[in-house]
Amino acid sequence: MTMNVTNHRVPEQGVSRAAGVDDPASSQRSEPDAAPALPTATKPGAIRRIVSTRAFIAVRSFAAFLALWYLLAAWVGNPIQLPSPLRVAAALISLGADGELFDHALISTTRLAISLVVAVLLAVPLGFFMGLSPKANAYLDPVVELLRPISGIAWIPLGLFIFGVGDVLPVFIMVYVAFFPLLLNTIAGVRHVDGKLVNAARTMGVGRRAMLRHVIVPAALPTVMVGFRLAFAGAWAAIIAAELIGSPSGLGFAIEWYRQLLMTPKVYGFIVVIGIVGYLCDLALRALQRWLTPWAEGMELA
Amino acid sequence: MTTRTAAAPNRTHWNSVLEATLVPALLVFAWQLWAMTLATDPRSPSPTHVATTFVDLVSNGGLIGATLQSLGRVVVGFGLALVCGVVLGLLMGSNRRIRDIFDPIVESFRPIAPMAILPVAILWFGTGTPAALSIVTYAAFFPLLVNTVHGVSRVDRKLVLAAMTMGVPRARILARVILPAALPSIMLGSRLAMGVAWTAIIAAELGVGAKSGGGGSGGIGQMMFVFYAYSIDLNAIVVCMIVVGVVALLIDRLFRFVEYRLMPWRH
Repeated sequence: MTMNVTNHRVPEQGVSRAAGVDDPASSQRSEPDAAPALPTATKPGAIRRIVSTRAFIAVRSFAAFLALWYLLAAWVGNPIQLPSPLRVAAALISLGADGELFDHALISTTRLAISLVVAVLLAVPLGFFMGLSPKANAYLDPVVELLRPISGIAWIPLGLFIFGVGDVLPVFIMVYVAFFPLLLNTIAGVRHVDGKLVNAARTMGVGRRAMLRHVIVPAALPTVMVGFRLAFAGAWAAIIAAELIGSPSGLGFAIEWYRQLLMTPKVYGFIVVIGIVGYLCDLALRALQRWLTPWAEGMELA
Repeated sequence: MTTRTAAAPNRTHWNSVLEATLVPALLVFAWQLWAMTLATDPRSPSPTHVATTFVDLVSNGGLIGATLQSLGRVVVGFGLALVCGVVLGLLMGSNRRIRDIFDPIVESFRPIAPMAILPVAILWFGTGTPAALSIVTYAAFFPLLVNTVHGVSRVDRKLVLAAMTMGVPRARILARVILPAALPSIMLGSRLAMGVAWTAIIAAELGVGAKSGGGGSGGIGQMMFVFYAYSIDLNAIVVCMIVVGVVALLIDRLFRFVEYRLMPWRH
């Protein structure tokens, strides 16, 4: 019942609260911060149009979310379970100031990059081989289908035994997780190359190597890129699990470490960082996708 | 997978059986040979030891109990996510303003891996079932929501307009027109969500097991961790991995089967 009441109250308080959160040092002067928004809203023309855009609506949603979080934190009253967004912001700033945040984020993204590169080097050539040769596919596909249902997470205990706690385990788990979407999408991409393109090239006397390089690779690349983004999404979820259980560093390790120390604001801070880094990586991959395969506009993840 | 060729001539049937089993059989054989060159410790992993361990674990009931416990959590978590995801997805898909409001929040939570929620879940709920459940629900929520929104926004406008012309109330349109039209998408979301949920429960149980000294969480994920941390029984770990894989496969097949029965026109 109380939840309903707070829910209704949120929109009015939302904007001013969020203005305070953006700048924790000035949380008291939330009113002046909100004030400049008023004149812009009354001005006609371009500025007004900006205010009614999706960006403004997004900011409003975040403001409402932060306000709800703030009220919920006040209602729970237990900073170890749910610290207020202000405390989390302060924790984030202190983590950023002493560089710890960037250290862990850098370690995790380096591992991510290494394992994605390894997975591409393993999966894409194999995918081309299996996609081009039906015989190879018939023999190798059963192995893939046997291993694929075993999630990367389930390899963690065995991986811990083989590699021990350290850098290799998260990379191994991520390579395993990233391998299958890359392989399957490469096979599908190679198989679904438009037969007309291949025939047209053949009619014009194109050789095998040129066919591969100029026809099959460009035609299959968009699907491979979709596989790459799926691989990234899987790997990003897996690295947190792998680091949390079997690594002495990285973002996944950090959240659990501070949980054990009951420094909850830092736990939430690192969770925010996980979200931001994941989001930025996805943005980068989208840009890469557009840059590498500009002819594949409109192909999206299912 | 190979039984589909039953109607084909015998030779191709045997050919496909050979193709499907040759490389896996060779790999298992190589593993067995490699294991026999190792020390003859009964705990060192080999196919025969894995098989005997499997029989042991099944006959003492531990494996089946743990698997059922994990499955139960997945089903409950999936159910919660289904209700939340489909309801919010219907609202977001059919109403532009609601979509604009929730979209930024949903999109900013999506890159946060389910396992990142684990420390918070432990702080809130301890190391028992609720912590694992919350992770499963969180993991399953996003595929369900995204696919429901996608399905609803793809519903043929003409169907909705036709129903409106005939004076059907909004709530009824949602339940009788939009929901069935979005069902294929929701089913796809369910299958993806169930797969993710099964991965997440293993991760959650492993993580809880690893971080609370064995803890009281139970389930097959924790069983694996106990075998790693306390008895270093690699055969048992491999048995658990195989069971995890088989359950994932069965879940996937079950959902494909239901999809096929509900919507045979799509195949």
